[in-house]
Amino acid sequence: MTTLLGWLAALGLVAGLVMGFGVAPREVTQGNVQRIMYVHVPAVWVAYLAFAVGLVASIAYLARRRPGADRLAHAACEVGTVFLGLNIATGAIWGKPTWGTWWTWDARLTSVAVVFVMFLAYLLLRGAIEDRERGARYAAVLGIVAALNIPLVHFSVYWWRTLHQPPSLLKPGSSTMPPVILAALLVNFAALALLGAYFVARRARVLAVEEEALA
Amino acid sequence: MPDNWGFVAAAYALAAIVLGAYWRMLVRKERELNALRTGAGPGQTGTNGKTGVSNAKAGALRP
Repeated sequence: MTTLLGWLAALGLVAGLVMGFGVAPREVTQGNVQRIMYVHVPAVWVAYLAFAVGLVASIAYLARRRPGADRLAHAACEVGTVFLGLNIATGAIWGKPTWGTWWTWDARLTSVAVVFVMFLAYLLLRGAIEDRERGARYAAVLGIVAALNIPLVHFSVYWWRTLHQPPSLLKPGSSTMPPVILAALLVNFAALALLGAYFVARRARVLAVEEEALA
Repeated sequence: MPDNWGFVAAAYALAAIVLGAYWRMLVRKERELNALRTGAGPGQTGTNGKTGVSNAKAGALRP
C-alpha cells in the first residue's frame, strides 16, 4: 500500500510539473514567477491536512492511550512541519520579485511563522523527554494547541490588513481563478497530498520499528 | 513584469531538495532499523561492554 502511494505520488509530481509548466499559461500580471504558486499553495494545504490528522490522532491518543495514535500524530505533525517550512520558504522566494521583500511581519506571515515554530517545539519536545508515555502525552497537548492556530492563519488575511492576498479558493463563493490555472493547482495539490500521505505512512512505520527495537 | 525565471527555478529546486532529503532520511532510517532486526549489518558488529546493547542498535537509535 505504501509503495503504491509512493508511485502514485511520483506520477502525480510529473503530472503536476506538466500542468504547471506545460499546460497552465503565463499569468498576465506577474508573468512566469506566478508558477511558484503550484508548489507554494499545495504545500500549505498538505500541511493543514497533516496537522488536522495530527490533531485528531492526538485527541484519540489522549482518550484511548493507543501507541498507534501517538505514532500517527508524530508522523503527521513532522510531515506537516516539512510542508509548512516549504510553504514559508517558497513564499519568501515568491515575495521578493512580487512584493519587493523576502519577508514582512504582516498578520499572515507572522501567524504562519508562529505555527511553524510551535510545531518545531512539538518535534523538539518529542526528542527531549525520555519517558515515552509522558513525552507522547505532552506532545499530544502541544499538537492540539498548535493545530488550533491553523484557523487563525487562514483567516488572518480577513481579520487584519495584510500584504498577503486573501485566499482564491478556500473561501465562501465560487473561485475567481481561470479553470486551467485551477486545474494545474489541483493536480499539484493531489500530487503533494499523495506524497504527504506516503511520507506519513512511511514515518509511522519507522516509528513502530523504533519502538519495537527499544522495547 | 519580468518573468523572474531564477526565482521559479529556486523555488522548485528548494522543493525538490527538501522533499528529496526527507524521503532519503526515511529510507536511511528504515534500512538501519531493518538491519538491526535481521542482525548486525555491514560495519555494525560488536557489543557495548557496559550496557550489553549492540553498537549497531545504540548507533541507529541515537537521535
